[in-house]
Amino acid sequence: MSELPPGEDLADEGLPPTPEERSSHPSMHWQQGRRTLSWIRVLALMVSILAVWLVLDSSTLLHNAEVSPVGTRRSLSLALLRPLASFANVVQITELEKGANRALGRNAEGAPQGHVLKTAGPTVSTLPKHHTPGVTTTTIDPLKGASPTSPARILLVGDSLGLDLGGSLQNALASTGIVAATLDGKESTGLTRPDYYSWPAELNTDLAALHPQVVVVMMGANDPQDFPGPPDVPFGIPAWTTEYQKRCEDFMRLATSQGAKLIWVSLPAMQDPALNARIAVVNQLQKQASSSVPGVIYLDAGTVLGGTTSPYSAFVTQGGQNVNVRTPDGIHVTPQGGDLLAHYVMSQLRSHYGIPLP
Amino acid sequence: MLFPTIDFAIFFVLAFALAWALSPFPAPWKLSLLGLSYFFYGWWDPKFVLLIVAETALAHVGARLMHRSEDPKHRKAILIGTIAVLLGILGYFKYAGFLTVNIDNLARSLGLGNLLPLIQPTLPVAISFFTFMAISYVIDIYHRQLEPATPLDLAVYLAFFPHLVAGPIVRGGELLPQIRTRRDARHIDYSRAGQLILRGMFKKVVVSSYLASHIVDPVFTSPKSHSALDALFAAWGYAVQIYCDFSGYTDIAIGLALLLGIRFPVNFDQPYRAVNLQDFWRRWHITLSRWLRDYLYIPLGGNRGSESFVARNILITMILGGLWHGANWTFLIWGGLHGVGQVVGHIRRTRRAAAGIIEPEPTRWRHILSVFWTFQFVCLAWIFFRATSVHNAFAVVSQIFTGWSVTSTLISPLMILTIASVIALQQLPARLGDRLVVEISNTRLWIQVGVGALLLLAITTLGPTGVAPFIYYRF
Repeated sequence: MSELPPGEDLADEGLPPTPEERSSHPSMHWQQGRRTLSWIRVLALMVSILAVWLVLDSSTLLHNAEVSPVGTRRSLSLALLRPLASFANVVQITELEKGANRALGRNAEGAPQGHVLKTAGPTVSTLPKHHTPGVTTTTIDPLKGASPTSPARILLVGDSLGLDLGGSLQNALASTGIVAATLDGKESTGLTRPDYYSWPAELNTDLAALHPQVVVVMMGANDPQDFPGPPDVPFGIPAWTTEYQKRCEDFMRLATSQGAKLIWVSLPAMQDPALNARIAVVNQLQKQASSSVPGVIYLDAGTVLGGTTSPYSAFVTQGGQNVNVRTPDGIHVTPQGGDLLAHYVMSQLRSHYGIPLP
Repeated sequence: MLFPTIDFAIFFVLAFALAWALSPFPAPWKLSLLGLSYFFYGWWDPKFVLLIVAETALAHVGARLMHRSEDPKHRKAILIGTIAVLLGILGYFKYAGFLTVNIDNLARSLGLGNLLPLIQPTLPVAISFFTFMAISYVIDIYHRQLEPATPLDLAVYLAFFPHLVAGPIVRGGELLPQIRTRRDARHIDYSRAGQLILRGMFKKVVVSSYLASHIVDPVFTSPKSHSALDALFAAWGYAVQIYCDFSGYTDIAIGLALLLGIRFPVNFDQPYRAVNLQDFWRRWHITLSRWLRDYLYIPLGGNRGSESFVARNILITMILGGLWHGANWTFLIWGGLHGVGQVVGHIRRTRRAAAGIIEPEPTRWRHILSVFWTFQFVCLAWIFFRATSVHNAFAVVSQIFTGWSVTSTLISPLMILTIASVIALQQLPARLGDRLVVEISNTRLWIQVGVGALLLLAITTLGPTGVAPFIYYRF
């Protein structure tokens, strides 16, 4: 069969070959023996395929709708998908998909049970044999005594903004040679929707596996949304703020429950004024939570990138040069911005915990 | 809205029905396509619809003025003016932030203080694509290769939603005649379209997402935390990721257009079986490389001249082609690497030809080595394309050569199989699956429904939760 040169389109005229054409041009059967249909039949075919797929995938789609932000779209999706998922469960046609999800390491609805993006720093092959979480059996503070043979163990967690910071911070810490930094981040997550992704469960797993000595957290950009009900709890009302602060406190206590120290980094200013106002609420609640949990250091990212009470700027001046620190979406942080924030966090690690970082 | 989402599926089913129902009536059909395309584009940000309308109007006015004029100087002036404004719009949105920061920093270094206000315009989705299409349209009008289109036809040509976001960059001569001609509503090549769409979704949703999250993003985020082997696999993995991402998108775009009765040109032709860089650029993003060849390289003089003259033309074309992808020094280096590689190849070929050396038919091993080394060079260049900064790129490159003391934490058998399979499949005939498509298309429709639904289920099950944007939609 000859290859079509680049630039030639791949579809034929849409007319199927006659039997005579097929027999006299065997290669035409290969390329041009495809059946064609009228647009009405193609439409029916497309709708049928989507409808069958909708039923087969209904349990996953229902779960996705349930964990989506509260609103009209979610309500409509649930109204459509609940009966479909019920029907699919009754006739057990979703077992195929559920089995595949379990084989892929997800729960039956397809939600990841582990972290999606997780990188490990320089390997700490085994913990010291005498190590008991939360108990130091030597007189030398392990953080102050961090060395290439006994690196400090630092866990970095967060949402997409946490990844913006975490990537730069992990890279900078790895360069020192005395820190084993592990980054565990996932976009679109936070503390408001544990039904979508449970950070407390994830942190529990990380603490048990890594026994970090310091945890650095940056998250909250996805948290200004309603708690789903029924009844739904709208963002910003007293019931919402009370519950959110409690979740922050619980998370901070969990992070420090095995003796680790905790640095909580606030969120920077947002370009959109409405979003910025919502983030300011989240920052305030996180700050209040940090003051009520012992051992938590609260760092203001606005010191480096501009805070929610300052006018938004995508640029800062560093060493006499302009540095573009924010991405065009007005939310995230550029790699250069991540580097600046990482150096700020490292300076705090040095000053508060005595880690001998260069 | 992104292609592989439920939102888009609903939109397309409605668009398909509306477009075909109106297809016997040319003007309503075109208006419906235009309305649907503007709706699709406005989904990201409604105000940017004004941008594409403005560029359409500009291209239309420029084309009409040129067409009416017989004075060559006048026509050339109109052409240059039209292109300058189109490039000015693109330049503002895409490069203003980059330029102002760098110029201002240079001025500060020289003690001149703040020279320019720092700005960061929001980059409209697809601006590079429809601007290049508008430019090709006015240039083709100037060369009298095209008759000016009506405003409606031109608007549909530039905004047609299957190609709008990330190409292919379709020529006026390819799409405008199809817009003017009535399509056959009785014979839609749906099985070929379905093959393209499902194949594209598999490449993007399953393969590209998997490699991004499991090897490429972790290594590029923190190169020093990973081993040399991880860094090497990240480079290879990114080559496969970007191929699957971009060619997957293109497959879907071609398939969607085919369902609407429109044919797009091929945009990828197994690029990782290229035997040299010149061959690579005949296979990768074909519509961009032919645009650069016809509207930049050839007007610069092409290969008609001395070695240094041709080298200059190649370098300018490739560097500007690199910068088209984004305002970052990394894209300039990426384009420059390909430019240097092509210059070396060109000089070698021309000198050997001048010396009367006839290239022998390559042996099997010579062919394999050519493909292997071309792929390695392309992967090296891709490191700069993917990196967030020059520093980040060099960190990855240096880790490949110095990180052998760190153990690998990311590579798995599935990852190796994935990367190897995609590269290996490119060494096989391109239309390998076509016979299966023919057989399926000739089965009963209810069987085809079942096959289609199961394939869709497999893709959505194997893919990650959530959909990452296509890489090229940022450009």
